[in-house]
Amino acid sequence: MAVDEKPAADDNPYAQYYTVKKGDTLSKIAEEYYGDKMLYPQIFEANRDQLTDPNKIKVGQKLRIP
Amino acid sequence: MRKTTPWIVTLAAAVLLAACAGQKEPATQAVQKAEAALAEVRADAAQYAPDNLASVESTLTSLKDALAKGDYKAVLAGAGGLTSSIAALKDATAAGKSAQEAAVAAANAEWSSMAADMPKMVEAIGSRIAVLSKSKRLPKGIDQASFDAAKSGYEMMQSTWSEASAAAASGNVVDAVAKAKMLKDKGAEVMTMLNMSAG
Repeated sequence: MAVDEKPAADDNPYAQYYTVKKGDTLSKIAEEYYGDKMLYPQIFEANRDQLTDPNKIKVGQKLRIP
Repeated sequence: MRKTTPWIVTLAAAVLLAACAGQKEPATQAVQKAEAALAEVRADAAQYAPDNLASVESTLTSLKDALAKGDYKAVLAGAGGLTSSIAALKDATAAGKSAQEAAVAAANAEWSSMAADMPKMVEAIGSRIAVLSKSKRLPKGIDQASFDAAKSGYEMMQSTWSEASAAAASGNVVDAVAKAKMLKDKGAEVMTMLNMSAG
């Protein structure tokens, strides 16, 4: 489980982030962090500032993991 | 010789009485002076140098007892030492007050930082616990015991933060900082339990 550094703009130093890698999906990330892929909407909602569709994430995107 | 003895004894007694009477005034003044000097510093000393104060109070009480018994010689013999002790008490009080003020200033600065930081830590942990509580099974690396311990730790953090905030609001910033540090340590522990990286 790789947790990356937060974007500089974030004001919570304890917020958790993950950088999207090739082959990742929100479901896969949710399963990794929460043990339950059905919790992917939690990640989607936390990243609405950069995601418009839960099925469309890009390699290199830094997603906040609530 | 027999006729002169009573006269000499009377004279000796008179001289002794005069000598004692001559010591009464300076002895009384010495005690009054010590009482006045101690009164100036007593309130602060009680806060910043209580042990020194207790010692000086004890010495003063002894001299007042001696004065009441007419033992002026003992009063005058002890007055010098008491004056020195009161001077030392003033110094100790000033040093204690200065150290306390420095500690409060440092605590204020530290509290300012922690007051901004700790709620974010609590929020990040609370957020993760809330999501994990919805999960049908926990992720790899987190067993049920760890998760339960993390939840307990989180509850402790919330109550500790309330206590720290209350202490700060009542002006006890040193205590507030101590509690915030406890919270931070507990937070780091909980984050590890939840496989979260430190901030």
